[in-house]
Amino acid sequence: MTERLPDNASASNGQPHKRAKKRAEKPRAKPAEKPGAAAPATSRFYGTPMPGVSPEELSGSLIVIEGTDGSGRSTQISLLTEWLESEGFAVQTMGLRRSFLVGEDIDALLAENAVTRMTLALMYGTDFFDQLERRILPALRSGLVVLADRYIFTLIARSAVRGIGRDYLHGLYEMALRPDLTFWLDVKPEVAFDREFKKSHSISYWESGRDLSLSNDLFQSFIRYQSMVRKEFEYLSKRHEFVVVDGERSVAEVNGSLRKRIAQQLGIRGTHYHPSNALAHLWR
Amino acid sequence: MGTAIQNAAENPRVDEKESSRYPGALVVVEGIDGSGKSTQLYLLKRWLEIHGYRIHFTEWNSSPLVKSATRRGKQRKLLTPTTFSLLHAADFADRCERQILPLLHGGYLVLADRYIYTAFARDAARGCSPPWLRNLYSFAPVPDVTFYFRAPLDVAVNRIVAGRPKLKYYEAGMDLGISLDRAESFRIFQERILTNYDQMIESDKFVLMDGTIPVNRLQKLMRQIVSERVNLAQFAPKKK
Repeated sequence: MTERLPDNASASNGQPHKRAKKRAEKPRAKPAEKPGAAAPATSRFYGTPMPGVSPEELSGSLIVIEGTDGSGRSTQISLLTEWLESEGFAVQTMGLRRSFLVGEDIDALLAENAVTRMTLALMYGTDFFDQLERRILPALRSGLVVLADRYIFTLIARSAVRGIGRDYLHGLYEMALRPDLTFWLDVKPEVAFDREFKKSHSISYWESGRDLSLSNDLFQSFIRYQSMVRKEFEYLSKRHEFVVVDGERSVAEVNGSLRKRIAQQLGIRGTHYHPSNALAHLWR
Repeated sequence: MGTAIQNAAENPRVDEKESSRYPGALVVVEGIDGSGKSTQLYLLKRWLEIHGYRIHFTEWNSSPLVKSATRRGKQRKLLTPTTFSLLHAADFADRCERQILPLLHGGYLVLADRYIYTAFARDAARGCSPPWLRNLYSFAPVPDVTFYFRAPLDVAVNRIVAGRPKLKYYEAGMDLGISLDRAESFRIFQERILTNYDQMIESDKFVLMDGTIPVNRLQKLMRQIVSERVNLAQFAPKKK
């Protein structure tokens, strides 16, 4: 079930939620029950848990921010980290290609064009599970809040638009941990293009899906590729209960929406926040 | 001749649009270390090579794109059962997409020293879920012949231990914490793998080969079976 946040979500006026208050009193051991969900999230894993992991010992929370390049994910994660730390929560982050095991190997594969879709999908899978086992699970055992800058959904969507079956991909990630909250910062491909171009004055080979030979015109290629990925996200959004956030609003507005929902999840009473000088440049 | 993509009914195909028929053929050898499979496949390859057949030989865990990651993971002991399995799957995918499949479509006889059944037997012995493994490799074409070389555990283990000064960490299954003694750990690990192989004999239509038969007699048998099961004339050199 998809939940769209109101666009005028207040940035500072945080009304503590009834359920949040209740949850704040006792440490969270089970995932949040999602009212109205077709299939209630009874397990922290999609399928078989990883060998040697007992779900009860995972006392932390996993919060995922998904969205295309140019959707503002990294900015929001910097701001949320600061806010959560000021609220007294320890934060661990993860993201694509950040594993010690194969992160740099994937960078090298992307730099040359020899790699094919299945190899790349499985290298990203290796990267994901290495981070899950070595970073996320230990953090959740210690009661941290894990902020994931992208998760299996990006990996599934990218491979799916390249013709790898959805069932195959869901099978591959069945041992992944089910997030407590998954936000999708949704922006139109045209807006993402503008933001990305402003940032780096070029458009990357992979972000424009050039391996798919969609168009020789880079703008067209980018728009068509990102539209395909967005369509996959619409499908995933329903299947995995994303909280859809309109990513085209200002940084402050988007941040307000995220804080409100996270506060509710973690039992934080107030959501007032203004970035420190170090992060003030992000607040625009 | 080829029948591509595995158990279509149970394992969803990776890409339904892709053609699942090709003019080439795939012959693979499987078995525990020391079972004699590599020697036999080498002799089969030599026989076909010498007579000028269109063949390609490929080996487990040999993709140049994935090699450095696997080597680092093994040297620094960074691999868990899951990442060990995924890295080997990535290696296989690279060889499958860039060699095996294009060559099968191009009408080659492809010979593989170890195939997906190695992952099914070995990674399951490490604790990976068998259905997860089957899904992971469901993009692999099904071999025309799968030779399973079987030797008694003691025979196979002694062949390896006698010839190698030191067993490697993952090779001996030291990551499983079965035993602190490498030779003992290796033996128990191989035993588990052997059991897993045995369970696939019928379901995956293995051709059972007795690894204790003298090399030349076993090779004669292997050539005979290949001649019966694969239309070798198709891969023969064209007469001028």
